[in-house]
Amino acid sequence: MLRFEKREKISVQLRILIPLISILLGVLVGGIAVMFSHVNPLTVYKAIFIGAFGSTYVFSETIVVAIPLLLISVGLILVFKMNYWNIGAYGQYIIGAIFGTYFALNSAETMSRPILLTVMCIAGIVGGALWALIPATLKAYWKVNEVISTILLNYIALYILKFLMYGPWRNPQNFGFPLTKTFDLNAQLPKLVMRTRIHLGLIFGIIMAIIIWIIIKKTKFGYEIRVIGENEIAARYTGINIEKNITIAMIISGGLAGLAGMVQISGIIHMLQIEINPDYGYTAIIVAWLSGLNPLTAMIVSFFLGGLFVGASQIQITMKVPIGIVGLIESSILFFLLGGVILTNYKLYYKGRKII
Amino acid sequence: MSEVILQAKNITKHFPGVLANDNINFDLRKGEIHTFLGENGAGKTTLMNILDGIYYPDGGEIYLDGKRVDINSPLEATKNGIGMIHQHFMLVDTLTVLENVVLGLQSQGFYLNKKEIAKRIEEISKNYNLDINPYVKIWQLSVGEQQRVEIIKALFKGAKILILDEPTAVLTPQESNTLFKILKRMAREDKSIIFISHKLDEVMKISDRITVLRKGKLAGTVNTKEINQKELAKMMVGREVLFKLDRKPLNRKVEILKIENLETYNDKGIKILKGINLTIHGGEIFGLAGVSGNGQKELAEVIVGLRRATRGKVCIKGEDVTNFHPKVITKEGTNYIPPDRLKVGVVPNLSSVENAILRRYDRKPISRGIFLDYEEADKYTRELIKQFNIVVPRENAPVKFLSGGNLQKLILAREIKEEPALLIAVHPSRGLDVGATEFIRKKLLEERDKGVAILLISEDLEEVLMISDRIGVIYEGEIVGIVDIDLANINKIGLMMAGVHKNPLVKGE
Repeated sequence: MLRFEKREKISVQLRILIPLISILLGVLVGGIAVMFSHVNPLTVYKAIFIGAFGSTYVFSETIVVAIPLLLISVGLILVFKMNYWNIGAYGQYIIGAIFGTYFALNSAETMSRPILLTVMCIAGIVGGALWALIPATLKAYWKVNEVISTILLNYIALYILKFLMYGPWRNPQNFGFPLTKTFDLNAQLPKLVMRTRIHLGLIFGIIMAIIIWIIIKKTKFGYEIRVIGENEIAARYTGINIEKNITIAMIISGGLAGLAGMVQISGIIHMLQIEINPDYGYTAIIVAWLSGLNPLTAMIVSFFLGGLFVGASQIQITMKVPIGIVGLIESSILFFLLGGVILTNYKLYYKGRKII
Repeated sequence: MSEVILQAKNITKHFPGVLANDNINFDLRKGEIHTFLGENGAGKTTLMNILDGIYYPDGGEIYLDGKRVDINSPLEATKNGIGMIHQHFMLVDTLTVLENVVLGLQSQGFYLNKKEIAKRIEEISKNYNLDINPYVKIWQLSVGEQQRVEIIKALFKGAKILILDEPTAVLTPQESNTLFKILKRMAREDKSIIFISHKLDEVMKISDRITVLRKGKLAGTVNTKEINQKELAKMMVGREVLFKLDRKPLNRKVEILKIENLETYNDKGIKILKGINLTIHGGEIFGLAGVSGNGQKELAEVIVGLRRATRGKVCIKGEDVTNFHPKVITKEGTNYIPPDRLKVGVVPNLSSVENAILRRYDRKPISRGIFLDYEEADKYTRELIKQFNIVVPRENAPVKFLSGGNLQKLILAREIKEEPALLIAVHPSRGLDVGATEFIRKKLLEERDKGVAILLISEDLEEVLMISDRIGVIYEGEIVGIVDIDLANINKIGLMMAGVHKNPLVKGE
């Protein structure tokens, strides 16, 4: 009855229409769930939309969430292109934040703001890169499956963070709460737009997306990555050093996740604490997929997912719907979006007639 | 003759940029062996995939026993009594024959009545002389036997029409003969058989009628008795075809490849090369014949650096390159046409341009610092396409959409352009049509005349006999005989391939 056939090329209309319809279906299913908690789904969705894009403030908050998503996802795109599944952006993000914090706590008095911030950025990148280097090395020398090793390293990173927060880095003036002291102004990333929380990280994200796009499309390294991802045997025979390429790409991917962690604490939270939103490391995987592994598309997707999260968290407060419902709406939309990806790769036939 | 069982009317199928089937009409009679002949990209496989429900036609109708049917999936094809045996077997290696037969059966409930099924398999096997034990695991079977398991699968599901897509491509001459006997027997029992092949001689031997396709169009259906090979070839290609290639006299130059006592293991950890000794000079083609699985694939892989030698030496131009990195070996002047085009030869999802530059993307002028000069890459690709007559719909479309012949031309062009001293060609014309085959063989001869040493590994004896200067036979990891082309005898070589005749023939050198 239903049949799929591989597409050679997809039209622009479909490329836009498929995600739109997917979102609509997700909204529909999410809406049914909302009805069960005796709230009108239309009001809820209106509230989400207004909560995400309805005012300058919430719009800016959407961008604030999009920044780390973008930074992480463009890095992931690079390794995903090689069929190397880095699920460890979560941990790389945390370690990046920790490395940055070290300088924020210890060098704020001795360094000027531009220098300190540069050092913190480099530290964040180095931290994330080092954390990513562990699974890359394990893969290159002992063929350890990266999905397992990166996930396990996420837990180790989280417990290192917890150790620091309950131990050496806890600020005694915080009545025992596991927080560092608030960063000096020197260690805070400057705002980009006044009266919002949008910070310099946005520029980093956009520049990085463009750089990664250039790497993939224009450089020899990007070419090798695509050959490896599409046919490892051909790559090996051509003489491409697969281990070396995985390692370099993981350094870039981990470095960007680390940078994301650093800009988040330096630009938004202004201190290190246990809750620093490392879950962006997982959401960024979805961003990478939805953008079809294209770093430029990732900009739009990050913005959209940022809006979804900001809007959804708004209704939690304003409409008093249970937190579970919010998660349900989010996941049903993501579910349909990811499901819709199949239609961008395949044509669908029903009883022999082409549907899409 | 007897009644028509299947009729296809005006079948049309488009693919992006290609009209694969253009108003095809044919009918299949009960109890006949009907061959489909045509060059690669002529649309044979597309047409068969339509009958098997893998593709759905854009236009046209299919009638079974006079009734119009809509075949939407292989499952529906099975229900209609159509069974297809693909070129690449759809079997699970680690399961038994019985388990493979049961896979995908709709009629089985929660509990499997293995005894009953085994009994039926044995019945079928006995009835058609298939000689298959239902309890052995697939990996223990030879390629020919695996093919017979596929036949059992189809018959078990009640196939009245059997479609075989180039079944002899993977068989020895002897195995092919066994298959033909089985097919003829099935035809006598009123099964209808559609047989796809490139090999004109076997088509003449086995079929009752022949339908020829050319560039997606029907070139005609003929009774086998009323036509000869030459006319068939002309119908297929649209022009006269050479069955013998002109060869210049052998002009042997310096020794290029020397292999001594080479040993290696295959992927299963079994010793597959047991002391190979071989020398090839510039300007000669050494043809290595043998049934697949006797070590020829591994031999090629060791020479090009894709597999480690556990003993022995490989020297190229006098230099020991045993177990060197493939890139170094390539730099020493060795190029490789791998047996599996899509798995090793190209990167299927990348474009023609990106595949064409695979050997030289890190050399000037295509390489510019850390960047790739895509303009230079395009220029180079266009040059290859022109010189080698490669038909590419769009240079930026993934190469997996190229036909087998054009894909192979692209690979050959890319490797020859590196000006190798040693060219290793494994099954260079396997699965290709007459036109492309002729082209590839001519190019190999051209390279030979330029002084390149060529190791031709092929299971197609005719090919080996047609272009080699010396022929070696590999059996169970050893070269059991080497003979000069003038002294070669197809029967003796066939027997050596089967391991019957183990005495070395006249040694070359």
